[in-house]
Amino acid sequence: MKEKLECILNDGKAKISSALTIAALQDVKAFLLGKQGAITEVLKEIPKLDVSVRAEIGRAANDLKNTFTDLINTRRDEIALKASEISPDFDLTVPGIKPNGGTLHPITQMCYDLNDTFLSMGFEVFEESDITSELYAFDNLNFPPDHPARESMDTYWIAGSNESKSRLCLRPHLTGASVRYMQTNKPPFRFVYPGRAYRNEATDAKHERAFFQYEALIVDREFTFSAGKVMIKSILSKVFGCDVPVRMRVGFFPFVEPGFEIDMGCLVCGGSGCSVCKQVGWIEIMPGGTPHPNVLRAAGLDPDEYTGFYVNIGLDRLVMMRYGIDDIRLLRSADLRFLNQFK
Amino acid sequence: MKISLNWIKDYIKIPENIELSKLAYDLTMSTVEVEGMVDLSKSFENMVVGVVEEVNPHPDADKLVICKVSIGDLGDVGDDEPREIVCGGINVKQGMKVAVARPGAMVRWHGEGELVELKKAKVRGVESYGMICSSSEIGLFDLFPFEDEATIMDISFVDSKAGTPLAEALGLDDIILEVDNKSLTNRPDLWGHYGIAREIAAIYDLPFAPPEAMNGAVTAKTPKDDFEIIIDDTIRCPRYIGVNIEGLSVKPAPFEIQSRIWRVGMRPINAIVDITNYVMLATGQPTHAFDSDVVQGNIIVRRAKKGEKLLLLSGSELSLTDEDLVIADETEAIALAGVMGGAKDSILPTTDKIILEIANFDALGVRRTTIRHEVRTESSTRFEKGIDPERCDITLATAMQLFEQCYPGQDIKITGFFDNYPKKSEIKTIEVSLKWLEARLGIKLPNQRLESILGRLGFDVSFANKGSDEIMSVVVPSWRSTGDVSIPDDIMEEVARIHGLENFEPTPITTAFEGAVNQPKVLIDRKIREYLAFKCGMNEVYTYPWVGEEYINAILPGSGEMLEMTSPPSPSERYLRSSLLPNLCKAVSDNLRYFNEFSIFESAQVMQGKDYKEEYDPRESLPLQRRHVAGAFVATADQYSKVFRHAKGVLEAMARSVHMEEITLVRGEACDKPVWADDVVWLAIKIGDKTIGCMGLLSQKAAQGCGIKNASTMLFELDIDALEPLQSRTNKFTHIPEYPISEYDVSLLFDEGVKWEDIRQCAAGKEGPDNLLREVSFVEQYKGKQVPDGKKSVTIRLLIGSLKKTLTSDEIESCAAAIVKRLGKVLGAAAR
Repeated sequence: MKEKLECILNDGKAKISSALTIAALQDVKAFLLGKQGAITEVLKEIPKLDVSVRAEIGRAANDLKNTFTDLINTRRDEIALKASEISPDFDLTVPGIKPNGGTLHPITQMCYDLNDTFLSMGFEVFEESDITSELYAFDNLNFPPDHPARESMDTYWIAGSNESKSRLCLRPHLTGASVRYMQTNKPPFRFVYPGRAYRNEATDAKHERAFFQYEALIVDREFTFSAGKVMIKSILSKVFGCDVPVRMRVGFFPFVEPGFEIDMGCLVCGGSGCSVCKQVGWIEIMPGGTPHPNVLRAAGLDPDEYTGFYVNIGLDRLVMMRYGIDDIRLLRSADLRFLNQFK
Repeated sequence: MKISLNWIKDYIKIPENIELSKLAYDLTMSTVEVEGMVDLSKSFENMVVGVVEEVNPHPDADKLVICKVSIGDLGDVGDDEPREIVCGGINVKQGMKVAVARPGAMVRWHGEGELVELKKAKVRGVESYGMICSSSEIGLFDLFPFEDEATIMDISFVDSKAGTPLAEALGLDDIILEVDNKSLTNRPDLWGHYGIAREIAAIYDLPFAPPEAMNGAVTAKTPKDDFEIIIDDTIRCPRYIGVNIEGLSVKPAPFEIQSRIWRVGMRPINAIVDITNYVMLATGQPTHAFDSDVVQGNIIVRRAKKGEKLLLLSGSELSLTDEDLVIADETEAIALAGVMGGAKDSILPTTDKIILEIANFDALGVRRTTIRHEVRTESSTRFEKGIDPERCDITLATAMQLFEQCYPGQDIKITGFFDNYPKKSEIKTIEVSLKWLEARLGIKLPNQRLESILGRLGFDVSFANKGSDEIMSVVVPSWRSTGDVSIPDDIMEEVARIHGLENFEPTPITTAFEGAVNQPKVLIDRKIREYLAFKCGMNEVYTYPWVGEEYINAILPGSGEMLEMTSPPSPSERYLRSSLLPNLCKAVSDNLRYFNEFSIFESAQVMQGKDYKEEYDPRESLPLQRRHVAGAFVATADQYSKVFRHAKGVLEAMARSVHMEEITLVRGEACDKPVWADDVVWLAIKIGDKTIGCMGLLSQKAAQGCGIKNASTMLFELDIDALEPLQSRTNKFTHIPEYPISEYDVSLLFDEGVKWEDIRQCAAGKEGPDNLLREVSFVEQYKGKQVPDGKKSVTIRLLIGSLKKTLTSDEIESCAAAIVKRLGKVLGAAAR
């Protein structure tokens, strides 16, 4: 008889703990404690037992009854806490309904990231027109009259411009209009200037006729070119989200003196050399330098008094590096299969 | 440009502790960008000089021989026994020195295809240790040209003994630096090995002096009686030296000269031509040689006559303009000055006397000519950068020394010499304030250091006190005086780059500003873009500012006021956009290939050739340019009413999201329908009374013109510059109603022509304290099976409530009933 009780206990414990719903637990309770339940059956058997063991078995059966009652109550609380009216077959893997989110162009995204960085450093954002004149695109910037960039094979000139005025063109770079800003504001200056620029050249996966530049300029009385490095580091660490090694090396641009090519450490190989950086560990990322005295003069400033620092970043290239885009033409393709990737 | 390190070593001694990678890095940082370094000897690994000891016939092949070739002590076998090599060379003979490729060498079979690794192999049954190479098999055809393919390289002229590595024996154990030409554009002094050597010497403070050969003098400086150099245009040609040299012959140059010019990428031709090229590669100064038998009388440097013909060395015949400068004799043009010689007067197989030209030509003139005639040469590339006329002297000396070297023992005579130098170049002196220099550099460098740095670059420096400041006077060397160095800032750059840009610590930006940045006008564009993308689910696109003619024709009234480019990307894309819509429609058309339903927008400038302004400077007059934003909502053809409501909703909610003055969408008499819009479905976008844009359905005709099929395209475009951003948010707080407001929906039948705005106004009734109607709104409208023809069912939502009490259901019902009754009376509405 003892063995039987043992058996009922083990079986009962298992049944209770495997009951998942209140209804199932109710069935288990009836099976164990009900009128035809297992324990009732035992109790019915007692009178048939030898007198010497009746009392002992009776106690044991009652203890078992109490144990089951406790276990069932505990289990009932557990189920109540977890209860759901919904079928366990409910498919949790069905995709969610997403808000109808569109996209900003990846260049716009990059531009706004940079704007936010510079705005936090007290820079203004300056915007200007796509069409400019030779005066602002070249003359003011110290381009010699015979500079190759002035040729129509380099710059998109506008037909039928007023003969008595400076020739008009699609701006070949942004730098020209920095002078416009300086002419109409009071120094010191600290501003960024994003915008489109255009150059007449053959297009392929690496070259475009239209591109997006981002310029940052500081002009002040005291400024050494080595302070410019801080500005560059701020830009790159914002774009790439990590501290990027930067080097400045000599470079020539008519509108800066001294002029620099600014390289960043190749993030693909970490500087050890790979196909992306042509094995040199550095990638040319932007020109920069101190505005040429003639540029400051054109802006109405005395170059003996004012100096500064300037960088001009090609955002197309930076975006391509940020995402590993291998064809620059995709950026102006308006192809949604491309644009939809940049949430 | 390719730079040979061995060549550089003619001029300077590079200390052994400077590693090549360091040299390339330092040059890149301070002077020019070194893009790569090639160790030439790598291509000749496992190739050695062999001496043919015996030539025996091959038992099984007529055209092959078995050679016994000494290739020195190989170490791997431990002896220097000759090896057997099967060879097919028709010129192989006993005693000949040959190039032997050993197993492991990379060769090109018969000079074609990919490089393959050589292995020991049996050739027609006979084991061959390696290969006796032909020049094309190891990439040396230009140095060892042959006519019959079965010719092996004869290198008997080398001093080296058997077993010497081939690269060493031929002087090909050289490192070639690849310099990015773009980084040289402003440095005409660096277009030759001599100039680069000077920079390296300056960077590492190495002794540097021109070798004797460069200081040599021409022995017969006497003009010939019957020969003169006449310069007609001294602006375009500031100097011309002509040297008559006789007693020459056309033959190959000594191997070392050929090898040098070949190593830096030029092809050896003959001794005379090779000398002119060698001199250019050494000094950066192009030179040219004319066959003086063909030149008639004097040399004249003049402008070409209009239409004058000149057949160039390259074989192309040019029709010249009077802007081109030519070298001419008494009868005709014989060379395009600074660009290329003519075919007639160049070095011929029979040439034995020449006129050597060492001249200086104006950079701009040469460049214009190369662009005009689309000929660009090593010579024109250098002249375009602006070479100083003084350089003719070292060039002349170098050339004369080479002639002696190439024609030893031959009795070459200088029979005439003429140096016409009408325009000496100006030597500049720049005064630099040391106070200023210190402020700009951020550090103070001792005078001694400044003198050392600048001195190495060829600048003469002296110091003088001036008040509390000290002035450094810097005399610019001639080779930097062609525009490269002219102001104190240029001197600062010279000092900074040689001092080492990495030796300047970054300093914090100290510029202080007052006040916060507040530019609502600038930032409104961003707010609009973010609204359209993130709130309205549109995709931003970028397109070009030029517009294809087909899209102009389809979308715009015409190209009348559009600006036109002189050299457009393509003839059909010569106009610049006066509207964003044509290119947006192109984007729609392109994307319809992959998507049925989408919405895109672009924000950019548009321009028109009118309303010119002289805003910044009276010398310029800029056309009308405005920032616009345009969008397109695309769905299937039957969905036009849905896209209409979508587009309209986007515009209606824009002002509130963007924080700008309210815009309205209306159809008044004063508005003109845009060309591209459907006759019925379009609205003007207004701010106050002013029209600032338009929205509407792309008409069938316009869609067809853009190649858009089976789609409804709803467009809008508006002028961002006309929008008025608000200085701050203008939300207003009102108390939350104290008493409940009930929603009451009612569906009514109207005639199809009844407009929602009329329904809304009629339902709203008169405003007044007793009006329990708080708001009327549109739920949906329906036409179809359950609605009779000519009718539509409109579901209207009424919000009914009182400000003073809770309404009973009777009161709500009677308010609604009154409205329904009014709609029935005024607009003929009937219950469904």
